[in-house]
Amino acid sequence: MFGFFSSLDCSLDIFFVEALLNGVLLAGLLALLALGLNLVFGVIDVVWICYAELVMIGMYAIFFFVQTVGLPLPLAFLLAIGLVAIAGLLLHYLVIRPVLDQPPINQLLVTGGLLFLLQAAATMAFGIEFRNLGLRLGSMNIGDMSFSWSRIITFAVAIAAVVALWQFLTRTYIGTAIRAISQDRQIMPLMGVDQKKVYLATSAIGGGLAGLAACLMVLQYDIYPQIGLQFGPLTFMICVLGGLGNMVGGFVAAFIIAQFITIGGSCVATEWGYAVAFLFFMLVIFVRPQGLFGAKS
Amino acid sequence: MRFWRSAAYAAAAIGIVSGISLPAAAQKEIKLGVIYDYTGPFAGGGSLPAAIATKIAIDMINERGGVEGHKIVATYADAQSKTDVAINEAERLLNEVKVDVLMGVFSSAHCVPMAAKVDAAKKFMWANVCVASAVFKDKNLKYVFRAQVHSDQTGEASCQFLSEIAKSKLKKEVKDIKVAIIHEDGPYGAGVAAGNEAKCKELGIDIVHKEGYAATSTDLSALVTKLRRARPDVILHTGYNPDITLFTRQAKEAGLKYIALIGHGAGHAQFDKLKATFGDDIEYLFNVDPVAAQLLDPKALQPGLGDLINEMVNRYKAETKATEVPSHVSMGFNQTWIFLTDVLPRAIKKHGGFNPEALQKAALETDIPAGGTIQGYGVKFFPPGHKMSGQNERSIPVVMQFVKGETKIAWPSNLRTIDPVIPLPSGHAFAR
Repeated sequence: MFGFFSSLDCSLDIFFVEALLNGVLLAGLLALLALGLNLVFGVIDVVWICYAELVMIGMYAIFFFVQTVGLPLPLAFLLAIGLVAIAGLLLHYLVIRPVLDQPPINQLLVTGGLLFLLQAAATMAFGIEFRNLGLRLGSMNIGDMSFSWSRIITFAVAIAAVVALWQFLTRTYIGTAIRAISQDRQIMPLMGVDQKKVYLATSAIGGGLAGLAACLMVLQYDIYPQIGLQFGPLTFMICVLGGLGNMVGGFVAAFIIAQFITIGGSCVATEWGYAVAFLFFMLVIFVRPQGLFGAKS
Repeated sequence: MRFWRSAAYAAAAIGIVSGISLPAAAQKEIKLGVIYDYTGPFAGGGSLPAAIATKIAIDMINERGGVEGHKIVATYADAQSKTDVAINEAERLLNEVKVDVLMGVFSSAHCVPMAAKVDAAKKFMWANVCVASAVFKDKNLKYVFRAQVHSDQTGEASCQFLSEIAKSKLKKEVKDIKVAIIHEDGPYGAGVAAGNEAKCKELGIDIVHKEGYAATSTDLSALVTKLRRARPDVILHTGYNPDITLFTRQAKEAGLKYIALIGHGAGHAQFDKLKATFGDDIEYLFNVDPVAAQLLDPKALQPGLGDLINEMVNRYKAETKATEVPSHVSMGFNQTWIFLTDVLPRAIKKHGGFNPEALQKAALETDIPAGGTIQGYGVKFFPPGHKMSGQNERSIPVVMQFVKGETKIAWPSNLRTIDPVIPLPSGHAFAR
């Protein structure tokens, strides 16, 4: 604890502003990761603990399409999004659907089991090496501040994805059905909404969002079988902090957590940034167990 | 092709772990329990090369008839880059498989608790790769030994190297050199960083920033920003993977400049992988580690060790199809070789067997002079009662530099194979 105070140095200089803006850019990626998980939980009421592993599958798919098959990157991105969308659909059909009526702990355990299965499968298929596409997009300089293009692109795409999903949910028939089911799973089937189709569509969209996150993450991170463990807990924490199933809450929570990581890391120490973020999370859950934007059940 | 080769490689790695015990019907046996990380992030960070090299050493000994008429039967266990798994595997090997000796261990985070546990149980452990000084410091261990260098030495070497080239290369007084120490916050990173800090302070080098971070961090931009603010001349970095690649990528994107970066083993020892990721940006990187044996002049070693190094390198390349042989290969091979050719034969011949007491006595009698191992250093263990009891007092690390795709020795001067390139030449991505 003494180390925390002794290392406190929050000079309000240009580097502080850089850290602040880097936090905003990081939040874009975290928000996108939380979006898919929240969508699935909000509609189907099941937590995909293995969500970050779907992202990992998408990253390996892009690597495979580009490095082994030799496809151009944009096509690899599209194929990966499609592939992970199908994976999401299959995840629901083969794994979630049989346990839909079972206690939440059983649902958690099957998706948790799938997490390890996917990690092991990736290890068998691609080995334990750290992979990457060797992409270097450079950075944008504003005065003494520097921001990587990969992060700027990630942020822009993440915001666009949030807007596009919102448009889809509010302006299309299936989107309206998804929102309706998320509001009342018991009544809507009685009013003619095909719950099974809505669940499948939601799972495919959730998977597609994981695929999109994979496209953005290969721009910034190495690919390895355990990358899900790097992002999974953080994503889950953001979803719970915002209110599990609440997409707006997840979006705001991503920005809060990202600022803790970057500003906390800048003013104190990197490891304290994460520690303070988790401490804040715990305090919020003590006061509002349903999360910042979640409704009381 | 690359995909199928990877699949076969991973399958081979897992096969090594699951296959495993090779019983010999008529011959007496000595059971070794070998623990490494065959999967998870540490595997790609150097554990797998060390594991393969350990197996090569055991195979070679068995091909030569074993040790004093005993066949070495190894059981290989995967710690999966997780401390709890490593400890559970150690207990399984000792209590269920009933191995005579526990060997291997890549991560210091595994090594520290495992060594204490094994010693308390009065079993014998021979640590191969983990370097944290905390494994031994003030623990007074009796049955755990390590011929490998320790993290205090690793941390001290980089500062000593800088002080010796301050005037000739940096055109500065030692006190005017500004360094930043950054490290993953496990026992390994923290141990090396403590060595950095103590030695740099002793030499009068100005430490402008010191910070730890979790190796699983998703973002190190705040750390990079602080380094840009502190403007160190030299960054002393200790990390695994993926943190090293994340830091390097974000440092370049943020325009961090310095005159040299000195890594300290683990992820920085994987030059070929860093080269594949960062291309020329990784040129002129320094790395402090026990030396990769093939870089040494065989004439400086005892007769026969040059041939041994060649065989190790050839077998490793044949098995992995690798072009670069990282220093972890030498660590895994050398430690195993020392145990099987020096300690174990003496325990059997002089102390009547290979129980922990006999092995402890034999280890304490080890007296290999400098030049007597493939990594150049000698072996003599600090005795019980010493604050580092069980640690080799003759081990030394070297400072290596990656220049034009090749690894060279930059320090100490008596082993030097290159005039170190420092500061970074103009035009380099990180050069000022």
